[in-house]
Amino acid sequence: MDGMHDLGGKQGFGPIDVNETDVPFHADWEGRMWAIAQCGGGRDGWTIDWWRHCRELIDPVDYLARPYFDSWMQAYTAAYIDSDTFTLEEIIKAKSDQTPVEPPEAIDTQQVLKDIQSQATRFDRPLAQTPQFEVGDCVNTKQLTTSHHTRLPAYTRGKPGIIHAYHGAHIFADACAKGSDRPEHIYSVAFNASDLWQESQNRKDRVFLDLWESYLEPA
Amino acid sequence: MPTFDPEKVSEIHQHLHSHLPSESALRVKALETVLVEKGLVNSQTIDAWVEAYSEEVGPKRGALIVAKAWCEPAFKAALLEDAVSAIDHLGYLGKATAHLKVVENTPLVHNLVVCTLCSCYPFSILGMAPNWYKTAAYRSRAVRDPRGVLTEFGVKIDNDIEIRVWDSTAELRYLVLPERPAGTGGLSEEALAALVSRNSMIGTDRVLEIKN
Repeated sequence: MDGMHDLGGKQGFGPIDVNETDVPFHADWEGRMWAIAQCGGGRDGWTIDWWRHCRELIDPVDYLARPYFDSWMQAYTAAYIDSDTFTLEEIIKAKSDQTPVEPPEAIDTQQVLKDIQSQATRFDRPLAQTPQFEVGDCVNTKQLTTSHHTRLPAYTRGKPGIIHAYHGAHIFADACAKGSDRPEHIYSVAFNASDLWQESQNRKDRVFLDLWESYLEPA
Repeated sequence: MPTFDPEKVSEIHQHLHSHLPSESALRVKALETVLVEKGLVNSQTIDAWVEAYSEEVGPKRGALIVAKAWCEPAFKAALLEDAVSAIDHLGYLGKATAHLKVVENTPLVHNLVVCTLCSCYPFSILGMAPNWYKTAAYRSRAVRDPRGVLTEFGVKIDNDIEIRVWDSTAELRYLVLPERPAGTGGLSEEALAALVSRNSMIGTDRVLEIKN
């Protein structure tokens, strides 16, 4: 979707705060939101790209103006309500309508460290179909537009690039956002910065994106 | 089960916009309370996760990987060839690093990592991403004006150096291997790791300083 999240190359955001305090969390609620995201249950059938899409669907003014982990709260809450894990009324009241259920047994930090290792989720899948492109091939990205989730950013649509690396077949993000685990071949594609931005001053500079095969066509 | 229906979720977002309190802390508290009462999460487990990412999982891991690569040519070769196996041997494989790639800075190449579409980051080796990495300013500008961005970070890149920007659009994640500073021949891996800044592994730092 052409949402506010698709920020690559947008202008007017001004300088970067390079002197922020170097701490993992800037407020307690940030840490708790991150932790809820890591360990909360009630997410049968969710996929990473469905969750990303739920975040992209936040009102664009909220998306830009509200704090980063606040948008996680809203994305998780919307996805939970969509899944009937709880209702809109329950989150507004901050109270379950049912008698509280015993929570799962607590785990300690040592167990958390083991759980983080088990979060090394792989997205590569076998695919019998031969890859369409080889390293060194010239390609163009398609002029794809969709109201759904996609990982082809607007700034690289309809642009020439070169296949820099092939990574096998990974679950296709656009399908993943609809609950499918259909794989596609995926490549790192190198773009000359000067092909993306007329004002790019250095002709050596390049931008690399990891793109699925159906985003690409032979040049 | 999710509906996978974006129109339904857009409508939910509108309701949340209108009815939730404005303060982020209250919103997250509401979510935690409801999930606890539904039996889906334990608040003590949340405490443990916060502690793990505050104390244990952070850029120190990435810095140790970099220092080891500087000291051991065989490890460096393995890291550049198959970063996933290399970090697995160190016990650092985990969240968001199952498809890790390491990109090497050289005298003629500087690498910079961004996620323009969300905020993808190799958590199990770098911990929490800095705020600036998640801002619209960095995400919008890193791919279009990397030299301007680097200047703001105090990093001057000569025109004969190629900048390679890696936009993390899929499940691959990128770690920058910075150059080893000159004059560090006698330092141990541990001492070298202390020189490696978090930003140098994202690419917003380049020339590492030798601390006394």
